[in-house]
Amino acid sequence: MKKKRTPGQWLKSRDGQKTLVMIAFMIVPLLLLFVFTYLPFGQMFGFSFYNMKYVGERKFVGFKNYLKVFERDDCFGALKLSLYYMLGSVVQLAIALYLATILSFKVKGSAIFKGFMFFPFLINGIAIGFIFKFFYTRGFVFDTVLQWCGFQLDSLPYWLKDQRINNFSLVGTSVWRYFGQNMVLFIGAIMSVDQELYEAAMLDGANRFQQFKYIILPGIKTIVTLNVILSITGSLSAFEPPFVITDGANGTGTYFIVMHQIAHTQQKVGLASAMAIILLLIIFLATLLQKLFFKYVFRSAEDEDPRAAKKRERAIARIAKKRAGSAQAGG
Amino acid sequence: MKKKKLLALFTAIVMAVALPGCGSGAGDSAAGTGSDAGAQTESTGSAASADSTASADSTATAEGTLSYTTLNLEDHTDLTASIKFLHHKTDREADGTMAAMIAEFNKTYPGITVTTEAVTDYAEDSLLRLSTGDWGDIMFIPAVDKTDLSTYFMPLDTLDNLSQYLNFVDSWEYGGNCYGIPYMANAQGVLYNKAVFAQAGITALPTTPDELIADLQLIKDNTDAIPLYTNYAAGWTMGAWDAYVGSVSNGDNTYMNQKLVHTAEPFKDPGDGTGAYSVYKILFDAVAQGLIEDDYTTTDWEGCKGMLNRGEIGVMVLGSWAYAQMQEAGDKPEDVGYMPFPITVGGTQYVSAGGDYNYCINVNASDENKLASLIFVKWMVEKSGWCFNEGGYTVVKGGENPDMYAAFNGCEVLSDQPALAGEETFLNDMNAESELSINAGGNDKVQRIVEAAATGSETFDDIMADWNRKWQDAQKELGIEVLY
Repeated sequence: MKKKRTPGQWLKSRDGQKTLVMIAFMIVPLLLLFVFTYLPFGQMFGFSFYNMKYVGERKFVGFKNYLKVFERDDCFGALKLSLYYMLGSVVQLAIALYLATILSFKVKGSAIFKGFMFFPFLINGIAIGFIFKFFYTRGFVFDTVLQWCGFQLDSLPYWLKDQRINNFSLVGTSVWRYFGQNMVLFIGAIMSVDQELYEAAMLDGANRFQQFKYIILPGIKTIVTLNVILSITGSLSAFEPPFVITDGANGTGTYFIVMHQIAHTQQKVGLASAMAIILLLIIFLATLLQKLFFKYVFRSAEDEDPRAAKKRERAIARIAKKRAGSAQAGG
Repeated sequence: MKKKKLLALFTAIVMAVALPGCGSGAGDSAAGTGSDAGAQTESTGSAASADSTASADSTATAEGTLSYTTLNLEDHTDLTASIKFLHHKTDREADGTMAAMIAEFNKTYPGITVTTEAVTDYAEDSLLRLSTGDWGDIMFIPAVDKTDLSTYFMPLDTLDNLSQYLNFVDSWEYGGNCYGIPYMANAQGVLYNKAVFAQAGITALPTTPDELIADLQLIKDNTDAIPLYTNYAAGWTMGAWDAYVGSVSNGDNTYMNQKLVHTAEPFKDPGDGTGAYSVYKILFDAVAQGLIEDDYTTTDWEGCKGMLNRGEIGVMVLGSWAYAQMQEAGDKPEDVGYMPFPITVGGTQYVSAGGDYNYCINVNASDENKLASLIFVKWMVEKSGWCFNEGGYTVVKGGENPDMYAAFNGCEVLSDQPALAGEETFLNDMNAESELSINAGGNDKVQRIVEAAATGSETFDDIMADWNRKWQDAQKELGIEVLY
C-alpha cells in the first residue's frame, strides 16, 4: 500500500511536518540537558580514570582511582556519618507528617503556622550555617535559652566540640531547614484526598488517628515514598551544615566534605571524580532497595481483600503442584 | 513508523554532535577577534609577533624586550591601556585602600585604566579562573606547578637581574626566569599581647617550647585572658602552623624546598626541642593542658582580632601579615606585639621570611597590556608603599621595615632557598600525594592535633608516626629518593 516517497516529499507530508515540529520542540530541552548535565558528567567520568590536577599533565591510570577509594578508610568511614543524617531524615519526615496532618484539619491560624515552618527552607544554606554556628557557640543562643528553662551552663554539653553529639547538632540544623518543605508537600497531597471519605469515616465512628491511618496515609503513599527517597539520597550527600559550621573538622567530615577536600585541597581530581561516581552508584542502590522495600510493605495494604489474595495464591499453588506431578509422571 | 523514529533519532544525534563543534568554533573566533582587537591598538607590533613572543618568551627576556629591571618608570607616562588585576585582598578592596593606590597610580599614568577584582576564596577560585584563560592581565600566582609557569605567565626578568634589587623573588623562578614578585613579605613569628604578658609576670620573651608553655600557664594562672587562641574553626589559621616547619625550627634554609621531600622521617622527634615535631608539640601540649579557649569548635576569626587587641588573648600563632589587622581591630594597637617563634637551634633563634602572594602577568595578554601591567607591578612594588603599610617585611632591597620587627633583633633572618633544578615540582607533588599539604592548605592535619589532644583519641607520637608513614608512602609512589 505504501507509496515510495522521496525524502523531500516526505518532509512536506503531514507525517514529515509532524516529526519536524516534534524535533524542533524537543531539541532545545534535550540540548540543554545534554550540554549541562550529561556532557559534564561524561567528562567527570573520564576524569576518574586519570591521575590529574586541574592544571598540568594527565596520566591515565585505569581503575586505580576506584581501588583507592575502597582502600582508603576516610572515604567509606565518612559514609557512616550518613547514618546520622538518615536518622535525622526519619525524624524530619515524622514531624512533617504529623504537623501536616494536624494543619490539614481545621486549625486556627494554620496559614501563619505553615508560613513560619516553611520559612527556614527559603533561607540560603550558607546563611543557615552561620546562624547555627552562633546558635551553638558556648554561652550563646541555645545555651541561653536552655538556661531560661532551668539548665545550668556547666551541665550542658559543648554542642559542636563534643564528638558524641556534634553530628546530632548538625543533623538538627538540616531537620530544621527541610521539615517545613516536607510538610508543605504532605499538606498538598492530603488536600487531594476526597473530603467525602472523612465524612463517611466520621459517620462510621472513626477517630482522627484511624482517619489518618486508613484514609490519609494510603492516600498520600506516593508522596511519602518520594520524600523518603529524596531524604535518604540527601543524607548520603550531606554537605552544607558540616562545611559551613564545622569545616568538616572534629569528626563531622561527611563523604562530600572528604570529596571536596580531595578535589580542592589535595587536587586529586581523578580520585574525587571516582568518589563521585561511586557515590552515584551507592545512591542508585539505595533508591532501588527503597523501591523494593516500599513495594513489599505497601502491597498488602493495596489489596482490596486479603482473603481474595490468599485464595488466589492457594489456587496457584494447586496448579503448580498439578503441573509438577504431571511432569514427574511424564518423566 | 520505525523509519520515522530512526530518522528522528538520527537527526537529533547529528544536531547534538554538531553542537560542540559550533561551540568550539565560536570560541576560536571570539579568541581570534580578541587578539585582533589587541593588534589594532598596537602601533609597533603586529598580531603575528604577539603570537611569536608568547611562545618564545623564555628566550625573549634574556634579549631584553620587556623586563622589570630595564623598565624605566618615567618613560611610559603617556601610555594608554586598560588592564585588570585579580587579587585576594578583599578587605583592602572593601576599605578603599586599593582604589586609593590606583588613584595615586593614575596621577602619574592617567592613560592606564586599572580595574580590580577581589576574590574571596582566592586559593581555589583563582586556579579555576586560571584554567579558563580569561582572568585579566595581572594576578597573584596560585598553587601551580613550576613547569607550567611559562604556559600561563610572562617572565618578568631573570633571577640574576631581579635579585640585585628585590628580596624573595626566587620562589617562582623557573629556568633562570622569575615569573612572580611578592607584593609584600612575611616574617614568621608569633603574635602576643604585651599587656597580658606584663600582667602575667613574664619579663623575657620565651625562646624555647618549654618556656612558652610555662608562660601560657602563667597567663592562665594570673590573668583572665585566653593563653593561646587556636582559631581552630576557621581552618586555614591552623594551617599557619606549617610555616614554622622549615628554617625556623631547624635553622636550615635549604630544608623546606630541597631536603624535606627527600627526608624519610620529617616528623621524628629530634630530642632537643627543635624540628617540625617540636612545633606541633607546642600546640598539642597547650591543648592537652587546657591552655586554649574553652570551646575551640566555635572560634571566631573576625572576633579574635579585637580580643587580642583588648588583651583577652595572650598568644596567637600567625604570620606577620596579621599584625596590622590586629592593631586596627581595637583601641590598643600599642599592646599588640610580635616575637620570633620560640624555638632555639644551637643557641640561635631563626626567623624565616618569605614573599607573600606574587604578582604575575598573563602571557596571553597583548603587548600593550603586558607593558602597562609591568609598569603597574613595578609601581606597586616600589612606589605604592603597600608592603610597608601592611606591616610586611620589605621586598625592595634596603627598604624600610616597620617597627614591629624590633623583637627580631638578634635573630637570624633566613629566606628559604628555591628547589633544586629539576625538582621544582617535587614538594607540590609530595604534598598532594601524601595529603599532608604542608604550607599548602593542610589545615585538617593540624586540626587533628587539637582534636587528639582535647579528646585523648590519639597520642602525639601516633600522629607523627602516621604522618611519617604517609610521607614515606608518597615518596615510594612518586619514586622520590630518600637522602636524609
